[in-house]
Amino acid sequence: MPEVPTGLILIVGGLLLPLFGKRFSRYVSFVVTLLALAWYWSLGSDVSTSYALFDMELTPLRLDNRSWIFGLIFHIAAVITSLYSIHVEDTKQHVAGLIYAGGAIVAACAGDLITMFVAWELTAISSVVLVWTGMQQNPEQQQPIYRTGMRYLLIQVGSGVLLLSGVILHFKQTGSITFEHFLGLNPGETASIADYPLSAKLIFVAFAIKCAFPLLHNWLQDAYPKASATGTVFLSAFTTKLAVYALARGFAGTEQLIWIGCTMTLFPIVFAVIENDLRRVLAYSLNNQLGFMVVGIGIGTELALNGTAAHAFCHIIYKALLFMSMGAVLYRVGTTKATELGGLHKSMPWTTAFCIIGAGAIAGFPLLSGFISKSMIISAAGEKHMFAVWIILLIASAGVMEHSGIKIPYFAFFAHDSKKRVKEAPWNMLAAMAIAAGMCIFLGISYGYQWLYSILPFELEHGYQPYTQAHVILQLQLLLFAALAFVVLMKSGLYPEEKRAENLDTDWVYRKALPAVVVAGRHAVVWVDRQLRLLGMGLLRWFLKKQESLFSESGVFGRTWSTSAMAYWSALLLGLCLVLYYTSR
Amino acid sequence: MNKSKPDKPSDGGHDDSEPSWFERNVNSIIFALVIACVLTVATQRVFGLGYDEQHPAHFPQEEWLGFQAIFGFVVFIVIVFLGRALRLIVERPEDYYDA
Repeated sequence: MPEVPTGLILIVGGLLLPLFGKRFSRYVSFVVTLLALAWYWSLGSDVSTSYALFDMELTPLRLDNRSWIFGLIFHIAAVITSLYSIHVEDTKQHVAGLIYAGGAIVAACAGDLITMFVAWELTAISSVVLVWTGMQQNPEQQQPIYRTGMRYLLIQVGSGVLLLSGVILHFKQTGSITFEHFLGLNPGETASIADYPLSAKLIFVAFAIKCAFPLLHNWLQDAYPKASATGTVFLSAFTTKLAVYALARGFAGTEQLIWIGCTMTLFPIVFAVIENDLRRVLAYSLNNQLGFMVVGIGIGTELALNGTAAHAFCHIIYKALLFMSMGAVLYRVGTTKATELGGLHKSMPWTTAFCIIGAGAIAGFPLLSGFISKSMIISAAGEKHMFAVWIILLIASAGVMEHSGIKIPYFAFFAHDSKKRVKEAPWNMLAAMAIAAGMCIFLGISYGYQWLYSILPFELEHGYQPYTQAHVILQLQLLLFAALAFVVLMKSGLYPEEKRAENLDTDWVYRKALPAVVVAGRHAVVWVDRQLRLLGMGLLRWFLKKQESLFSESGVFGRTWSTSAMAYWSALLLGLCLVLYYTSR
Repeated sequence: MNKSKPDKPSDGGHDDSEPSWFERNVNSIIFALVIACVLTVATQRVFGLGYDEQHPAHFPQEEWLGFQAIFGFVVFIVIVFLGRALRLIVERPEDYYDA
């Protein structure tokens, strides 16, 4: 096969899609993703193609042991999501989906920062179309979803601008646009973010935005749940994991990432407990899972970086599976609000089963994919004797069990019966979910995880064994006792009931606080302007009044003078002139 | 026309008068969960955790009997109560942003 970036196949395929019309474009979209996957597979993991452009060397395709696994999972995600959305007759969505997936793949497989930047922006622009797909599904929410899309676009493009600034600075400083570790660290070596030059710091912030770091995260929870049932599945797979890859490649071993990652694993779990919209719960859960990966990047050892790559791989599949199951609920019931769901296992048994497999995988139950990837990151923290990190990751694991392991399947499919009786999801949605669920199981068992470990970035000296006696027993203790706690809380009525509400997050700052500051500022300017104008008018009025009084009939300049006084003064002046005339002679 | 519109719920074809297998067996499921919980701790007590030179324990807590069991149970409850506390701070009406 010719060595072309397979992401381009998706992008070109996406651009040509409208030629096939509404009826066929959705099938063509699926075929294109399959073709691209087959092409990518045939390329293997040792390819590099470069071209000279001006005095720079562009490397649009660089497949190596670090990038190949990310490109592969992006291709698999593209296939699954295309299949999942094959019933949608909206060509625009298929075009955006293909270009978005293609952009992410080009970026992950790019060897230089310029190609990466172009693809980075392409993902931003194409993905906002996916956010706006929610408008068709939810016509009465058109304006809010439109505004959400605009906020999303601003933040994504902002990240791109920072990336470009950093890349330009980097090129000026080093004369190179090759994308490698910005300090040249090897696995196991560590550095502080302060050690990086300004150019790398700018790029770091660009990656941080896309990776939804704490306080920069809320675009994710804001936008993802607003997209259509199918749009969200596309969105969940690419942007954030592309950022994970970029961080792992450029900033592995940066100590601060450990604590940033720990924060990311912790705070979303509390928000997820009280969130009513189950797709928003999944968005918080996504943030929490990214935290595990960021911790792995921060630790920076071979085991940790392998854990990050493996976790990204497994996570994309089980997170897509969970979003797909909630998408199926949205498609059939019209909502994913927990307050309006419950009892759906009676009418959507297959979707329920697939959702439970996804929930088990994300929680990390043995024999499912999350177990064999998350344990690598936790073991990496253990190997470095990072006790606090280990404890935090255990807390986060219990948190995952709460919001994704139990809350999602329980409140959607069980809990109180909402009496909603709907049809099971369409065949294509079920097929996509079945493939994802099958992969969750495959990756959790012997052949599956051994294959996954064989494509990880680094070959470990002693390998890695996930199914040790200790791992299995301790993980089961953690998860089963967490489930027991749920039962106790439900039975005692202490579990907080689901409520229809908006829970504030950091987007409050730019959706409420900043607009309020701007409005207050505008009021202040108007007030000062009015006061100044009142003062000016007052002065003008005083001046006119003064003139009026001076020139009025009784004023100094306006009143009539008697002729006798005039004659008297004239005689006096003439007399004075006479005196002066005589005295001067 | 985008077909991704919700189908109207219909009662046809599904008999919901009968409780499902899950609804009939809730107590059995809980009982099974309790047994599974006891078994995980009992297994640790009886068979140990199989640590050796190649797979050592990194922290002494890993070897405490039932440490992760108690940890999981307590942390779960703490997270839920933190959520309740957070609700007091961040909860607003559903149309807060659009009102």
